[in-house]
Amino acid sequence: MALNKRTLNVVFLNLLALLLLIYIVAPFLWVAVASFQGEMELLSRPPHIIPQNPTLDNYNYVFTGKIPTAYEVTGQLRSRISEEARLIAPALKNSFVVAGTVMLINLLFGTPAAYTFARIAFKGKQPAYNFILASRLLPAMAIAIPYFVIIQSLKLMDTYTALILVHLVFTLPFTIWFLTLYISNIPREMEDAGLVDGCTPFQVLRRIVVPMIAPGLVAAAAFAFMTSYNEFLFARFITQSIDSQTGPVVIASIAGNPDASYSLISVCITLGLIPPLILAITMRKWLTEGLSASITYR
Amino acid sequence: MAVSSSAAKGNVRVRRRLWDRVYPTLSIVLPFLVIALFTIYPVIYAVRNSLYLYLLTKPKTHPFIGLKNYQEVISSYYFTNSLTNTAIYTVAVVICVLLFGLAVALLLNTKVLFSHPLRIVILLPWAIPAVVAGLMWKWMLNSDFGLVNGLLYGLGLIRDYIPFFANPTLAKFSLVMAFVWKEGPLVTIFFLAGLQLIPTELYEAARIDGGGGWRLFRSVTLPLLRPIILIVMVYETMTAILVFDIIYVLTGGGPGDSTAMISWFAYAEIFKFLNLGHGLALAIVIALIMLVLILIYLRLLRTEDTVS
Repeated sequence: MALNKRTLNVVFLNLLALLLLIYIVAPFLWVAVASFQGEMELLSRPPHIIPQNPTLDNYNYVFTGKIPTAYEVTGQLRSRISEEARLIAPALKNSFVVAGTVMLINLLFGTPAAYTFARIAFKGKQPAYNFILASRLLPAMAIAIPYFVIIQSLKLMDTYTALILVHLVFTLPFTIWFLTLYISNIPREMEDAGLVDGCTPFQVLRRIVVPMIAPGLVAAAAFAFMTSYNEFLFARFITQSIDSQTGPVVIASIAGNPDASYSLISVCITLGLIPPLILAITMRKWLTEGLSASITYR
Repeated sequence: MAVSSSAAKGNVRVRRRLWDRVYPTLSIVLPFLVIALFTIYPVIYAVRNSLYLYLLTKPKTHPFIGLKNYQEVISSYYFTNSLTNTAIYTVAVVICVLLFGLAVALLLNTKVLFSHPLRIVILLPWAIPAVVAGLMWKWMLNSDFGLVNGLLYGLGLIRDYIPFFANPTLAKFSLVMAFVWKEGPLVTIFFLAGLQLIPTELYEAARIDGGGGWRLFRSVTLPLLRPIILIVMVYETMTAILVFDIIYVLTGGGPGDSTAMISWFAYAEIFKFLNLGHGLALAIVIALIMLVLILIYLRLLRTEDTVS
């Protein structure tokens, strides 16, 4: 009887885990499946979870501009409307350039700042730290228009520089806060030994602290990259053309068109998801540790 | 030769000492300046222009009207409506996301077979853009080819596909579903971190005292997770109140204005009705609501710290 109850328990927990697994993965799978189906098959009832005529036509169109045969049925209009889908490749390139630069600057500027906050006593330290943290608490809608005004008066509209600047304002406070916590939580003895041996404070940071906080740096870099790659609202306001429009902006714009083809939008989404998904799976350990640290460290 | 080289060395040393003295200041000042430019100016701009009649259709003339924008915004039907919507949505979302996070964290902490693949994919929804998450749920719930409709139809539970976004209640339900999917992973990781902090001896002691699964959970796990539950509650409340991206792609505030939340209302005032003064006044009201929440949050954390 006791054993029976136990097996029942295990079965129940497995079932629950399986359901949760489906809840999490199903949207990803469905959008990927939709990207390999023609528009007609996508609309069949009940839907084909495994495509019966899998086709690469949609991808072919996005990369080469060859109109899929499926669209000739519904006429030229539909394929013309979806032409925006072809912007996804340059948009993802923009995303990569911006997010990569934001990530590098975060590491270059965030690490010394965090080290100073964690280890060096100076006047006005606490107010400066609090100000940097509090800057993230302004609701986006309140600052969207002023940001637009700033970017316009700096003559940076529709440039990488504008996006990088704005994304830095979002990511730097988190990076500084996170790395300050991280550095405060490592023992100080090594650094003191370094100073006794005649290292300058900067050398201590470069040769002793940086290697010790490497996992934290990896996590901070990944967070900065993802925040920038995923940011939508401001990217939408301060970009105007494909010269600087990022992945989320282009995807939302294509999907906002009620006549755009579902399978082509699915292609764009699938392509746009590949980088963050690869990051999330390969860097799982660091990301999890970083997120855990951000809530348990004081 | 020897003299000049030692002089050069001295020079390097001086430069080094200068760099050591300057770099800590520099390391703070640079990020500080960038952040300050994008914080102080926007706040001044927002507060100032919320006191003017500022229509984006007439950018040349904007007379000072004092607090009239605030008055008009707060007394409008849309304000009450979006505040009610936001309240309902926030309560639903926070409860769901807490339950989801707690359940998944507990599950991941066991050795159940299916918890291993779950562990690998749990971060995925967190890692992607919110607009894309919204779109993926739009695909899932679509009334022409949505997988949810397809599944219900295939199982014979429904005769016709359900138009999820045409019904006010179902549209709210869809939003909650997408939000929990997007935010749940982060909460799970937070709870998982909290669970791993609980010393196993406590469980052993409780087990010796004769505690079963449910009692163990209630008398050991839940009390020790309290600080994390509080943090997550406040954090998710703020995230839910500020939700925008998901609404933008999923429901666009509709049908009617049944999913128009307070942030969406501010967006609509500025970009649809082109009334910047109204939008900014509203944004400042939202900021004040946030401020109250943050103060409560800090208060909670402080009492938690003195307790533990």
